[in-house]
Amino acid sequence: MLVETTDLTKRYRGFTALDRCSLAVREGEIFGLLGPNGAGKTTLLRLLLGLIRPTAGAARVAGFECTSESLAVRAHTAYLPGEARLFRRMNGTQTLDFFSRLRPACRRDRAAEVARRLDLDCSRQVARMSTGMRQKLALAVVLATEAPLTILDEPTANLDPTARAEVLALVREARAAGRTVIFSSHVLSEVEETCDRVAIVRSGRLVHEQCIAALRRSHRITARLAGAWDAVPAHLEAHATLVAREEGRVVIESGESLAPLLGWLATLPLDEVQIEPVGLGGVYDRFHKASGWQAGEVTG
Amino acid sequence: MFDAAIWRKTWGDQRGLVLALVALWTGFPWLYIWLSAQIPMSAFQDVLLRAIPQDWQRLSGVPFSEVATHAGRVALAFVDPVVVLAATVFGITRGSDAVSGQLERGTLEMILAQPVSRTAVFVSQALATVAAAAVLAAVLCGAAASAVALGPWAGKVDPVRLVPAAANVFGLMVCMAGLSALVSAADSYRWRTIGIMCGFYVFSILAKLVGRLSGTLGWCGYLSVLNAYEPQRLVGDPATAWRLLAAYDGVLLGLGLAAYVAGCRIFARRDLPAPL
Repeated sequence: MLVETTDLTKRYRGFTALDRCSLAVREGEIFGLLGPNGAGKTTLLRLLLGLIRPTAGAARVAGFECTSESLAVRAHTAYLPGEARLFRRMNGTQTLDFFSRLRPACRRDRAAEVARRLDLDCSRQVARMSTGMRQKLALAVVLATEAPLTILDEPTANLDPTARAEVLALVREARAAGRTVIFSSHVLSEVEETCDRVAIVRSGRLVHEQCIAALRRSHRITARLAGAWDAVPAHLEAHATLVAREEGRVVIESGESLAPLLGWLATLPLDEVQIEPVGLGGVYDRFHKASGWQAGEVTG
Repeated sequence: MFDAAIWRKTWGDQRGLVLALVALWTGFPWLYIWLSAQIPMSAFQDVLLRAIPQDWQRLSGVPFSEVATHAGRVALAFVDPVVVLAATVFGITRGSDAVSGQLERGTLEMILAQPVSRTAVFVSQALATVAAAAVLAAVLCGAAASAVALGPWAGKVDPVRLVPAAANVFGLMVCMAGLSALVSAADSYRWRTIGIMCGFYVFSILAKLVGRLSGTLGWCGYLSVLNAYEPQRLVGDPATAWRLLAAYDGVLLGLGLAAYVAGCRIFARRDLPAPL
């Protein structure tokens, strides 16, 4: 595992920003972090970088302890903060030069290439750049680094659709080159499109881990009951879960292949059957809209 | 412990301030000496030695008879607000930028995401600030010496006697920069760091004044860092000037260095809040 946290906790006076978070990120995967504002995603990332110290628990990146060996961790990590602020008096070229001097592993030619792909005018002074241009410049700094781990906190915020697609392409290229990416975002579609696995964080706790490949095989069946129906038969319980049943409507989710369920569905008294992919939105809503979720329960 | 990229960046950050002070401190001694020369020495001595109560001598730190000389009058340039305030402003401005300034601007996050230690960031910035203070003190010394050697009082004051006074200005800049960096290292808002340091400076002035004027509260003077800033005493007897300078700058540079070390330790261990 490239990244491992064990019961990682960060408490401030009066509230817990991250609560006993244990996760593992494998080498060469794109790992998504999802959660609403204030859920603890950025706290987790900043703990990994050693910018803040954990109240309890431990975190390791590439085998290095994140607090006591923070320098080695950062040598193995490229990090894009959620709100990357750069030096207003410098222009784009000077900014790229500065960061390439600060990190010998940063390839200056690669930074220029990323900037070109993002259609960024590097001759402009940072103070005169738009928010999106500054974001592109920060991305050029980060994505030029060939570190084993790249952490991107909302990398596509403020970007136009073309640049957004280019950033996602760059992230996939990083994975293809064998690097690991932690990708925090609020845009479910791009997380689903890009990531291999996703963790959902809520109120400082890791509540769900989801493999995207498995998610793509999952379907939601929504139907109106036209007659009596008891429950999912025992032999199909491994394939289907009753998610909701109210006012004559049932919602069933298939975990893996849909095929074993189809024969059974045909025997049921159902009207208006609708079958659709579950999608990341459905999983996300399960933890952030539904009231049934219990604190302390980690699924996935 | 040292990072050349941070050193260069800090020079870029302080370039405007340094250039402004170079311009100010290059012109000021010439203007000051030219204006002083407009008042004949006999008239100046008459006012200083006869019209001003001798009790007020305690405020000057040196006997009026020493002030009423060409060297003494040149020395007053080093306690003029143009020099003292500018030196203090330089120290507070640069010191406060060390941590809380960059935290407030949000630029520290990207720097500390790179493989550079917090100690290296802090030390490189501190060295660039101290080097800039040395350059400014040298500029002030050079300008004062050239104004003395070539201006209206040419030949009346040995320019070398101004070196300890300029070195005392350097000590003040380093002391204020170090103390400001210490506060900055523990703070997250630059405006608060500057506010605290301005309060400290006003307190230092008041403590020095009270210590000078009050017999029973004379100990208050020891609470003021400005008690070690006495350039007017350093242009007198060259034999004692260097010894006095060692004591004064020992205090100022010692305090500044100690504050830098403490600030570095605080910065290396603290949590850094996310950009606001």
